[in-house]
Amino acid sequence: MIDCICNFWNDLMSNETWFYLITTLIKLVLMFAVILAFVVLSVWIERRVAGWIQDRPGPNRAGIPLFLLERFGSKEKQPLKKVLAFFGIPETSCLAKLLTWLRLDREVPTFGLIQPCLDGGKLFLKQEVTPSYVRRAYFIIAPMLVLGPPLVSAAVIPFASEVNTCYGAVNMSIANLGIGPLWIFAISGLSVYGLTLAGWSSNSKYPFLGGLRATAQLISYEVAMGLSIIPLLMMFSTLNLQDIVQYQAADGWTLLPLWGDGLSLERWVLLIPMLISFIVFVTCVFAEANRTPFDMAECETDLVGGYHTEYSSMKFASFFMGEYAAMVIGSALVVTLFLGGWSIGFGLDESLAAYSEWLAVICQFIVFLIKLLAFIFFFVWVRWTLPRFRWDQVMRLGWLVFLEITIANIFLTAAIMYFIK
Amino acid sequence: MEYAISNILFYILALLAIIFACNVLRSSNPVTSAMSMAVCFAFTAAILFGLGAQFLGIVQLLVYAGAILVLFLFVVMMLDVKAEERKTSRFATALTGAVIAGVLAGMIANLAINLPGAKNGSCPVKALCCDEASAACCIDPKAAAAQAEAPENFGGPLAVVNPSASDNDATAIAGTLYTSYNIQFVILSFALLAATVGAVALARKIRKD
Repeated sequence: MIDCICNFWNDLMSNETWFYLITTLIKLVLMFAVILAFVVLSVWIERRVAGWIQDRPGPNRAGIPLFLLERFGSKEKQPLKKVLAFFGIPETSCLAKLLTWLRLDREVPTFGLIQPCLDGGKLFLKQEVTPSYVRRAYFIIAPMLVLGPPLVSAAVIPFASEVNTCYGAVNMSIANLGIGPLWIFAISGLSVYGLTLAGWSSNSKYPFLGGLRATAQLISYEVAMGLSIIPLLMMFSTLNLQDIVQYQAADGWTLLPLWGDGLSLERWVLLIPMLISFIVFVTCVFAEANRTPFDMAECETDLVGGYHTEYSSMKFASFFMGEYAAMVIGSALVVTLFLGGWSIGFGLDESLAAYSEWLAVICQFIVFLIKLLAFIFFFVWVRWTLPRFRWDQVMRLGWLVFLEITIANIFLTAAIMYFIK
Repeated sequence: MEYAISNILFYILALLAIIFACNVLRSSNPVTSAMSMAVCFAFTAAILFGLGAQFLGIVQLLVYAGAILVLFLFVVMMLDVKAEERKTSRFATALTGAVIAGVLAGMIANLAINLPGAKNGSCPVKALCCDEASAACCIDPKAAAAQAEAPENFGGPLAVVNPSASDNDATAIAGTLYTSYNIQFVILSFALLAATVGAVALARKIRKD
């Protein structure tokens, strides 16, 4: 029986098409899980960091309270005391005080990680109100159009290098397309339909204004965003994200050329345009993800809640999940293009891969996640530090500053690449 | 087998694209028309993807669906939708539209018949795709040579499904555009620049002092 299954599996995996389908499916599920987990995690990071920056506790008290034990029939009122007694630690000792300070006598600490779960539960259980005056079909489609594109655009992001299994090589990105960043721009650019339609179908003036603002802002910043990575593409001379990361793993990250060919004079002089690109690109990612200081579309001071004013329950939540998913994808793209993607750096990738390919891939995946987390932290940091722009300032920054800078940057890069060899 | 799958996909996508294109005309609500057009563009991009022309497909999405149509929608939303829905088309307008559509359809049919490989009974996917037989006429000889040197030129219709598909689509287009059609490209760019300058001039406020 087992032999039969093994043989079937062998036959299945030896077939190129089935092998490709199965591995792709595994990668797909993995990437999807990572993004959704990161959406939840970034909400949590947002609240914790906000609390930290504003000098207040933040949601760190949503632990699992111990009175639940009592509720379920346990007669023990103070489990901590009993544990201390079991190990023979006096209640006045430093350790006991520390544990009490950590609130272990009252709850199982989770650092507030229960909070996102409770949030989700709350949003699912809330009453869903669809106003009678909305254009119903578009009103329902709009949140899907915001949440869907960021999830689809994750397909081209490489999260580790290649692995050779006994059935064939597996490339650790879902679709190893030759158009990497363009795919992300195009697909995530489609989420503008969601915002516009949400504003329009609500049939109410503030959401409509929010939708119009979102459209104008997203289209304006897409231009600068696309132009800002051209210097990078000139340097890498490929559009394939996996190749870009492999190049960075071998020859130094774009912003940290410390090994391989990265030590050449050309790369160090190229750091100037790369840095300009980085700043412009990151700012554009902020604008594309609709995050403060660019959250003009949902600016509550002048627009009530912007395009999602009329939404409630999970439809409202999907707008925010879309925003956070866009933030995660944006961070992943910045990390991939500028900070080495999955590469561990300092030539460690090659030596690890020589030791064991699977170990290398797992380490690279973890490194990628750590970089992603660090960049999401940066996102949140900026949000709680900078005030919101005024609408005309946003437009002026996009069209009069970034567009010119990026075009000049392309010429600067070309000149450097031509004159310094 | 490969061609069978991609053929089925091609026909399904083409049918959906045509259905949505008809919906653009049929619908009396201008926003529905605009959205149908966006979906139609998306399906066209999917067809291009299926042919292995990934770059063209993504540009279709990026430029038409992602930017131009959003601007369309932007303007259309400003209209009074109720008033638009009540309007009926006049006979003269319909006739003019039909004539223009007929001329365009004739041009496209003429092009399709004269395409290399169309007459020897191969499938439309094969005829449009730059495989070995028709490489020379789709792109210029130099790019074709570069294509042939690449380990897997274009990957054919299964490029999306093929993990090792090459990314020479963009390279081939760039090669053709900047070598054999360079002058036309520059002239077009100037036309666009003139249009941009014109738009700025129209939008500029005239100071009366």
